[in-house]
This record gives sequence, C-alpha cells and structure tokens, in this order.
Amino acid sequence: MIAPIEATGLGKRFGRTWALRDCSVRVPAGKIAGLVGPNGAGKTTFLHLAAGLLRPTAGEIRVFGRSPQSQLLLLLDRVGFVAQDTPLYGQFSVGDMLRFGQKLNRRWDQAAAEARLRNVDIPFDKQISHLSGGQRSQVALAIALGKHPELLLLDEPVARLDPLARREFMQRLTEAVAEEGTTVLLSSHVMADLERVCDYLIIIAAGQVQVAGDIESLLASHHLLVGPRVNDDVRLSGAELIKAQHTERQSSLWIRGRVPGLGAGWREEPLPLEELVITYLSAPHAGALPRPELEEAAS
Amino acid sequence: MTWVTWRQHRLEALWALVLAGLLAVVTAYTAYELWVASANCPPTIGHGDCLSNDVFGQIAQSIQRFNLFQYGLAVLPALAGAFIGAPLVAREIENGTQHLAWTQGVTRMRWLLMKLALIIVPLIVAAALVGYLEVVLLNVQGPLTNRWDVFDQQTPVVPAATFFAVALGVAFGAVIRRSVPAMAATLVAFVIVRVGIGELVRSHYIAPLMKTTHDFNAVGTQADPTAWWLGFPNYYDSTGHLLGNLIGPGAGQPSYVIQYFQPGDRFWAFQTIESAILSGLALLILAFAVYWVTRRLT
Repeated sequence: MIAPIEATGLGKRFGRTWALRDCSVRVPAGKIAGLVGPNGAGKTTFLHLAAGLLRPTAGEIRVFGRSPQSQLLLLLDRVGFVAQDTPLYGQFSVGDMLRFGQKLNRRWDQAAAEARLRNVDIPFDKQISHLSGGQRSQVALAIALGKHPELLLLDEPVARLDPLARREFMQRLTEAVAEEGTTVLLSSHVMADLERVCDYLIIIAAGQVQVAGDIESLLASHHLLVGPRVNDDVRLSGAELIKAQHTERQSSLWIRGRVPGLGAGWREEPLPLEELVITYLSAPHAGALPRPELEEAAS
Repeated sequence: MTWVTWRQHRLEALWALVLAGLLAVVTAYTAYELWVASANCPPTIGHGDCLSNDVFGQIAQSIQRFNLFQYGLAVLPALAGAFIGAPLVAREIENGTQHLAWTQGVTRMRWLLMKLALIIVPLIVAAALVGYLEVVLLNVQGPLTNRWDVFDQQTPVVPAATFFAVALGVAFGAVIRRSVPAMAATLVAFVIVRVGIGELVRSHYIAPLMKTTHDFNAVGTQADPTAWWLGFPNYYDSTGHLLGNLIGPGAGQPSYVIQYFQPGDRFWAFQTIESAILSGLALLILAFAVYWVTRRLT
C-alpha cells in the first residue's frame, strides 16, 4: 500500500542552517500521527515539504507516491493543509472564506463545510478579524476539510488556543477524520495536545527524527528502571539505554526494550508518553539509535 | 480565482476608480471649456486666454494654472505600482496567507498569473482612458500646441508606465516580502527609471535635427511651437566661433545660431518607442516575479 507520506533522506537547508536533515520517516495510512518536537525542530519545514510549499535540498518526499514538488497539481485535491497560526483573510467574512475554498478547489463540499461551522455556532456574516482564536481555527479546519482530503496536515493548530478551545478543536478534528478515514499529520510542541488524539508519533529535534512509531508499541517498548546506583556504562541485555540519571544511592535508567530477570532492588516502571518524548528530546544521542519504525518501513 | 481576486482587491479597485474618475472628470471638463472657448478665439493666441470669464471658465483656468491633470497623470502610475503592485504578493507573505492560498486546488503559478491578469488589465485600460483624455485636451488647443511638454501624461505612455510600475511593485513585493519597504522601493525605482529615461534616453530615440538660422527671432518655440527643442541654442559669430547660449552686451556679435530639435511630427513615434520600452521592461520584470514566486519562495 502506498503510504500517505514517505520521506527518505529528506533534508532542507535555509542559507547555512539545516532545518531538517536526513529525515526518513513514513506516515501509515489511516493514522492520526503527531509530529512533536521543540520550537525550531523542523516540524514546519517537514509539513511545508509535504504540502509542496518548499523544495527539499536533499533526499525526497512522496505523498501518496507522488512528489509534492513536481506533481503538486495531482495532490492539491487530496491534501488539506492548515498552516501555523491558521492564516485567513482578515477582511473576509466567514461566508467569504468558505466561498474562497469553493472557488479555489475542484473538489469541494459546501454543505459539509457550512454544517461544520454551524455545529460550532460560527455566524457566516462575521468578519474573520473579529473571530476568537478558537473560531479561527474552526474556520481554517472547515476549509481544509471542505475538499474531503485523504491527507490532512496541521501545523500547530492549537498552539494559541486556550485549553477549552484546544479540546473542542481536537474533538472536532477526530470526529471529522474518523468519519472518512483521513490520515492526519499534526504538529505540536506540547505533548499533552497530541496524547489524547494521536495513535502514531514522530519525535523530531534539531532537524532530525529521533523516533517514530505507534504510540502503543512505543509505550510497550520503553521503560524506566529504578534501582541501586550503577555506572553509565552498565550493560543491559536485550535493551538499549537512552538516558541515565543518578543520585548518590539510586540510578534511573530510561531504556528501550526489556531486561529479563531484573536484579535485586530493581523495579520496572512504565514510561508515560510525555516522559518518553522528553527523554528523547533531552538525550542528544538518542537520534543515533536504530529506530523501530524503519524496520516496518522497509518491510 | 476571479471572485477571490475581486474580493481581495475591491477596495483598491474602488480607490483606483475614484482617483482615475476624478482625473478624467477634471480633464474632460477643462477640455470642454477650452473647446467652447476655441470657437471665438483668434488663432494667434492660446486658447487658454480665450476661456470665458464666467465661473466655469475661471474654474477651468484654475485647473490649468495648477496643472492638476499633469501632476495627477504623472503620479498615478507610481501610486498604482506602490499601492496595488507592491502588496500583491508581499501582503500575503506578511500575513502568512500564501500558505493558505497555495494549498487549495490551484497551483502557485496559476494563482499568480490569474491575479496579475485580473489586476493589471483593468489598470491599463483605466490609465489608457485617462491618458487619452489628455490627448483630447491637447487636441482642442489647436495644431500649434506643444505635446512634448506633457510627454509622460499621454496615452500610450501612461498605460505603459502603469504596467511598468505595477510589475516593479509585484517584483519588489515578492523579493522584499514586506509591503511598506516594497512600496518605498517601488516609488524610488519608478522615479529613477522615469526621470532617467526622460532626461537621458528619450531624446536619442531618433537622431535629432539641426536648425541653423541667422534670424534670432526664430529661436526655439518661436521658430516652431510644436517641436521639442533640445538644450540651449548655440550662438556663433561670423568666423564660426562659439559665443555661448545667450546673446547680449559683451557676448560678442552673433552671426548665426544652431539648435537641435525633435520635430512635432515625430511625437507619436516617440510615444510608441517609449511605450514599447516600458512594456518590454514590465514583461521582463513580471517574468522575473513569476520565477521568484514559483521557484525561489521555497
């Protein structure tokens, strides 16, 4: 099956800085994938490359098997994009914004777009610049969904929303994509935004993919071991050490895999998702580790 | 795209219509008054002096005295370039809305070409109409009127200059990516190019003619009011020695005077040549802007 997004060795350089480097990742169909990483990690660059707004400096990216750069016209109808800060025309009314979507898209479901905004009580005659942040995001989402995209890309859609609006937005998003089986790639620098809705996770830092995989399998394969003080060069059979922290008497080891038959005084704890993400983001060497998702991608 | 362009730029369209309309009304009114006056005007004096003494004639006189349409027609292309051309791409980038526009069902190339066509064509038509009214205004003033003085204000140069200014604005907007600096750059570049062409290039489109005469009363516009007299007359004494640009006490005894000029019947050839230059430049700049937006803003 052709993956909605597949990047191999993808890199993008602006001037002398690599915003994204040697990025190989695959977003499986039908998933809600979270792209998480600190600000400046390369999330926006990755999404812009997938949306055909940027050209790669190295490697390539394929969306439904096609290049978003040279074959964009074939993809525009199939890919919805909501850019960072949900840009809309401030002088337009909500109704104008929908008409904008209608006029510029060959594939467009006006009734569905109108119904979506009615559901969240946004009046069509209101000017965009008078909307709240949450309402803006809902309008942007309605426009991106109006063409019934098979892939929906969202760049930090809730970054500027209050917690209530975040929840509302995420809820509407999951409802909409559940109905149609849309694949979603959603970026955020706040893990809590993604935890509730995503079933796939791509962690990106300093322009490189640290880890990618199903959230369930990520959770099942990562653990925290707590036990008596050991050195950093401790050998773990069947597991890889991602990060170690020591107090005078105790060591905490963040590992991928499982150590069978733990020694006396050691206990294994599950790693909460947020903790897992932070672990990868704070461990600079973690990106060099073999990544579980590449085995899947190769098969 | 048509509706989207209209919805986005209708305020600018309104402004352009108001300004061009105002100018058209003023020009047409003055032309009409001059035409009325010309009926009972002896051919030896300018028709401006024959304007009736009633309030309508006085209004026309004031308009003429302050050269309203001359200034207006010289400035309007620059305004179109700065206020319509420069923000065309720059404002989208400032607001991030290019990411919205370029991820709908229309490619960036099509988006830009449609927008350019839908904005530039009406502007050129409006500029051509207003510039044509200036031609009419000069026509009613009789065959002895000098057209060269208002070279920049007549069609086809006015629409060509408008085209050039808007192209310049679009390109600066795409490269600078911010509206206000792009507006400033457009104005400066437009003035430099227009003044540069007018002062340095225009007189060379066709080699000027030389007039040599012993009749010192037939100098410059006194010899031919419809011609463009280049530079100052050069006075020579009987030995062929150059005395200078002026005659008077202490300057020696002049014998003849040499002047260079472009005759009145070359006027429309010059208008055509300059329009072609400006339009050619505009097309090149637009091609660059399209290249920049589709290939470099990535």
